[in-house]
Amino acid sequence: MVSVEQLDGGLIEVTARLPRLAAAAVPGQFAQLRCGDHGGPLLRRPFSVAWTESQTCSFVFEVVGEGTRLLAELTAGDVLDSLGPLGRGFSVDAARGEVVCVSGGLGCAPFPLLVRSLRSRGVRDIIVLNGAASAERLYPADRFTRGDAGVGVVEATDDGSRGHHGFVTELLAPMVSSVTAVYACGPNAMLAAVATQVTGAGSPRVAEASLEAPMGCGFGTCLGCALPLRGDGRGPLWGLCCSDGPVLPLRSVDWAALLALPAADVA
Amino acid sequence: MSSAGLRVDLGRGLVLPNPVGLASGTAGYGFELAQLIDLDRLGALYTKGTTRLPREGNPPPRVAETERGMLNSIGLHNPGVDWVAEHYAPLFAAWRIPVVVNVAGAEISDYMHCARHLDGVEGVAGVELNISCPNIAHGLDFGRDAAGAARLVDAVRAVTGRHVMVKLSPNVTDIAAVARAVEGAGADSVSAVNTYVGMKIHRASGRPVLPQGTGGLSGPAIHPLALAAVAEVRAAVRIPVVAAGGIDDVATAFDFFAVGADAIQVGTASFADPTTALRVLDGLAERAAAGRIPARWGTTAVGSP
Repeated sequence: MVSVEQLDGGLIEVTARLPRLAAAAVPGQFAQLRCGDHGGPLLRRPFSVAWTESQTCSFVFEVVGEGTRLLAELTAGDVLDSLGPLGRGFSVDAARGEVVCVSGGLGCAPFPLLVRSLRSRGVRDIIVLNGAASAERLYPADRFTRGDAGVGVVEATDDGSRGHHGFVTELLAPMVSSVTAVYACGPNAMLAAVATQVTGAGSPRVAEASLEAPMGCGFGTCLGCALPLRGDGRGPLWGLCCSDGPVLPLRSVDWAALLALPAADVA
Repeated sequence: MSSAGLRVDLGRGLVLPNPVGLASGTAGYGFELAQLIDLDRLGALYTKGTTRLPREGNPPPRVAETERGMLNSIGLHNPGVDWVAEHYAPLFAAWRIPVVVNVAGAEISDYMHCARHLDGVEGVAGVELNISCPNIAHGLDFGRDAAGAARLVDAVRAVTGRHVMVKLSPNVTDIAAVARAVEGAGADSVSAVNTYVGMKIHRASGRPVLPQGTGGLSGPAIHPLALAAVAEVRAAVRIPVVAAGGIDDVATAFDFFAVGADAIQVGTASFADPTTALRVLDGLAERAAAGRIPARWGTTAVGSP
């Protein structure tokens, strides 16, 4: 572990020396991190790779249960056990010109890396629509831009304490017709709202979301992280968040079925 | 570390290069894990439970972590035996690791269909009859009742020449009686144990985390329970016993050899660390090299050529 940074509003960004993960991870992929040693939880916890340098990787999270509490307690010099990169990342090849990233709360995690990748592929303008419950819970804008003038951040808060007063998805509507790609990550209700805006004529070529689900393994063997995909209409077709996703085309997810599922058990 | 001399002959053509296998439901059909570890070093792969027709499985959440364990209620999500035979078996045939296909069903005819279909398929070293899945309706019926289990094995025995292993449920009053019954009906070996029925409550809502209510408990939490069950099964039958339940290192694996298991399956620990089974194998090979392996485990001479 290189550093553990407490940001405002309970967000935590950890950076660890993970050169192989840093070299291999593509935006949207995740790593399964062990939280605590043998006294800690049995299963790993999945985290999007938020940023990489040549030798290090960073992850953003907040404490929601025992696993994340133990992870937040690590300090520089501690060992972080990581398995990854895992899953399918964002499609970046078809993005051109102008693209928009829609982030809600902790959904910020995959975007710094995605933004860098898109810019290095010649995407001219990137707008990050960043929403959170309140100003202090907004992931800092400069961590999306990293000083790049081609990247703009527009903020929204539920309580109006900074930026647009309302949902981040309300900022998306005027842009949808002019961008080539929409990438989204955040609460399922937000993703469903994005999905309704990117269907139909004139929709962006690429419209994808990074999803999450309780996972046993993270690499496709336990079949625990089922997500309802659009099947043949006779009921949901379960896909796996870890190996079919975590990034999926917005059109392929059965949002009504997903929103009807019971709340996850957070540990 | 060499694992030569760790060969285990479970009978009827099922010869494991070493006793360390990957338990059904924790290793998919192998190709998923093959991206992460060298499967071919291991002794056996027991596939995800496979049914006559494809099954979509249960709605999520399907897994819930518990103290040193996890509950699952996957509901036998699998592509069906035809798909396995056509698309996965060619992979199995190309691997060195013996692949035993775990078969599940609701009726005896389902098991017979699968066993018959797999009988002539290259790459399938045997079948493991899942008579004890706690997560589907009727899934437990055969496993709970010794006479029913015997009828099932008898019927499957008649349609396959391959090795027939029976995976025993611990959710019974007398596991030894079921073990004896399936041995009497012609099973070549038994594996023990499947998961224990368990429940977790979502504290905020007061309702079970798993939509089905209960799920199957696995992981280190069940290790002492599984040991007791395997010891009981060992005492009841002469056929080989393949042990599973909470193994996460060589020491917990060895505990099963101490109570007479012939081979073992690493299960839930592979989710947290897919190299667990390889570490167990390396530890076993080290002990073997140091002469610290009993000359005879259970009914099968391990270490004989």
